[in-house]
Amino acid sequence: MTETMTAPTPTAAGAADVDVRIEDDASPIVRMIGRTLRDSARAGHALDALHTSSGTVAIRSHDTPQAATISFGDNGIDVSSGVRIEPDAAITVDLNARFAPTEDPSGDADLARGVLRALTPPLPGWREAAQQFWDATRSIAGIPDVLIAVTEGPDGVEQIVLGDGATQYLMASDPDTLAGVFSGADDLIAVLFSGALGIQGTLSQLSVMTGASWKVRYDA
Amino acid sequence: MPELTTTSAPLRDSGPRAVRLEATNHEGCFLGKNVSPKKFAAGKDAGFAFADLLFGLDLGNLPVFGSAFPAWRGHLDDVYFRPDMSTLIEWKPGLDSVIGDYWLKDGTPVPICPRNLLRQMVERLAAHGFTATVAVEIEAAVFEESIHEARARGYRNLSPLGGNAGTAYHLAKSADWIDYMNAVADRLDEVGIEWEAFSDEDAAGQVEINLAPGDPIKVGDAWARTRQIMREVAFERGHCVTFMAKPTAGYGQASHINLSLQRDGDNAFYAEDGPSETMLHAIGGLLATIEGNTSIVLPQITSYRRLVDLSGPPVTISWGISNKTTAVRAVCGHPKYSRLEYRLPGADANLYLALAGVLAGVIGGMEQKIDPPEQVTDMAWCMPPGLGIERIPDSITKAAAALDADPILRELLGDEFVDCWIASRKWEWMQFHTAGGDPFAELSEWESARYFELP
Repeated sequence: MTETMTAPTPTAAGAADVDVRIEDDASPIVRMIGRTLRDSARAGHALDALHTSSGTVAIRSHDTPQAATISFGDNGIDVSSGVRIEPDAAITVDLNARFAPTEDPSGDADLARGVLRALTPPLPGWREAAQQFWDATRSIAGIPDVLIAVTEGPDGVEQIVLGDGATQYLMASDPDTLAGVFSGADDLIAVLFSGALGIQGTLSQLSVMTGASWKVRYDA
Repeated sequence: MPELTTTSAPLRDSGPRAVRLEATNHEGCFLGKNVSPKKFAAGKDAGFAFADLLFGLDLGNLPVFGSAFPAWRGHLDDVYFRPDMSTLIEWKPGLDSVIGDYWLKDGTPVPICPRNLLRQMVERLAAHGFTATVAVEIEAAVFEESIHEARARGYRNLSPLGGNAGTAYHLAKSADWIDYMNAVADRLDEVGIEWEAFSDEDAAGQVEINLAPGDPIKVGDAWARTRQIMREVAFERGHCVTFMAKPTAGYGQASHINLSLQRDGDNAFYAEDGPSETMLHAIGGLLATIEGNTSIVLPQITSYRRLVDLSGPPVTISWGISNKTTAVRAVCGHPKYSRLEYRLPGADANLYLALAGVLAGVIGGMEQKIDPPEQVTDMAWCMPPGLGIERIPDSITKAAAALDADPILRELLGDEFVDCWIASRKWEWMQFHTAGGDPFAELSEWESARYFELP
C-alpha cells in the first residue's frame, strides 16, 4: 500500500490570466462553466480558445432545460444564464459527462471546437485533486476531520490521508473517478448512484460531502 | 418550554376506528399516520415514533443533502410525535384527529419542528408581557377536474371551477363553485374551525377563505386543517385544489398575515394619532428581517414568480399606513382593529414557520427598539432605484443568503433551524435547475409536478 499524507501543490506553469466572469445569482450551469473555464486557464489548457476575442456560444444540456451563453470579448469571458441572443455557435452537451457533446455543434465550427476544448481541461491526478478538494472544503461546518481516498494502482492499493482528527470519511474508486469527483468535473451523487464510488462514513457526512462537492463543482 | 396539554375529554364511548396524528414538515405538508385507538392510548404520553426523514425529505421524496445534520439526526433515527390533546377532535365518523409536535428521546423539543418554533416565539412575546392575535387569508385555486385528471394532464390546461369570467368578489358564480365553497364551510363548522368569510379572488378559479383571528398556534392548526378540508372536499366532489404560489401563468396566490399585540387586554398597536410606539418597533423589526424572512415565507422556486410589480404582492422593503402596495400595511386609529398586515407570504408557505418568522421580526424590533424607515405614501411598485427603498430578494438563493446573514432571525429562530432551512433551499434550487426545471418558462412543468399537490 502506498500512502501519501500530502499531495504536491499544482504547478502554475503555463497558467494563463484569463478573466472569466459569471453573472450575479448565477445558475448551476453558469457556475460550472465558469469554474471549468477557470480550470483550463489555471492549467494553461486551450489558451487559444480562451483568448478568443469575440463570439458567443450557446451551451445547452441534452436532458434538462439548462442553458448558458459564453461571450468572448477583449476583456475576457462572460458566462450568463440562458440563450437570449442568436449565438455564433451552439453546443448540446451532457453535463454529467464532463461536457461531452451529444450531437454535432451548429454554427461556427471552429468556435464550437475551441469551446469544447476549453470545457474539457485535463484532470489533475487523483492525489492532487483530493488535496485541492480538501484545501477548498475542509473549513465547511461538519466536514470530517480526515478524508481518506483509496484506489487501486499499478502497485496495489494506494491511498491518501488528508487531515487529522477523530472523524474520518473514506472514498474509494478508480483514479479517474476520484479525480473527477474531487476536481468537480463529476457530480458526487450521480457518481455514487452509478455504483462507481464506494464511501464509508455517516449519513450526515455524506450530506456535508455533497455540499463540499457542490463547492468545487460550482463555486471554485 | 411548558408541556403540551396532554389530557382531554375521553374519547367517545363508541370510539373511533382510528386516530390521525397530524403535523407539518418544513415544507408545510400535513403529515402523519392513522393509529388504532389502543395504540393511541398507549402512546399519547410517550409519543409516536417517526423517522427523522420527516424533516429531511424534499417534495420529490429525495433526502436533502448539502450540510451537516443536526446532532439529533442519526441514520434515520426516530423523533417522537406527542399529541397536543387540546386539538383532539372528531374529524369524521370513525376518525379522530389530533395535532402535535415532534420531540427528541430526551424529552426536549425538536428544534426545527415548525410548531415548536412558533410556540417558542409566542413564549418569548409573553415574556415581554404581550400576546399576539393573528389571522390568515388562505388563497387557493380550484379546478373542475379531478386530481386524477389533473395528474394525467401534468396539472396543465385545467378548467377553473366557476369559470374564467370575473375576478374578485363576483357573486354570480356557477353552482359547482358555490356548492364546493359551501361544502368547505360546512366541514369547517363540523370540526369547529371558525371562519369569517369566503369569496372568489383575482385569478380564475381562485378562492379566499378568511379564518377568525386568534392565538398563533391555534390559527396555525386551523390553517393546516382548513387546507386538508379544502383538499378532501375537492377530492370528494371530483375536483382538485392547489396552494402553489402560482398554479398558472396568471395571478399568484398569497397568504397574508394580520397581526396585533395585546398587553393587559389592550391593543398595543393602537394610538389615537397613528401607529403606537410598539407598532413602530414591530414594523422596524419586520422590515429589518424581511429579506431573511423572505426565504421562509416564499419557500419554493415558484414563490418568486409572484413578485411582479402591479400584480398584488409587495416587491419592495416598505411599509405604509393603509398602503396595500407595501410589504407591511399598517392599519391604525382603531382600538380594536389596529394591526399590521404582512403581505409577503405566498400560499405555499408553512404558516407555522411564517408566523414564527414574523413574530421573530416583531420581537427583534421591540427588543432592539428598531425604528422603521419613513413610510411609503406613494405606490410601492415600479419604484426607480435611488430612492433608498430596496427590493425584496427575488430568488430562492438570494433570500437564503439574506436569511443566513440575518442576526435577529438566527438568534431567535436558532442556528439549527436557519442552517437546516438554508441547506434545504439550496437543495431545492439545485433540484430545480438540474432535474428539469426551466427558469425561462413562465411556469415550468417541473414546478407544476412538484408543487401542485404539495405542500
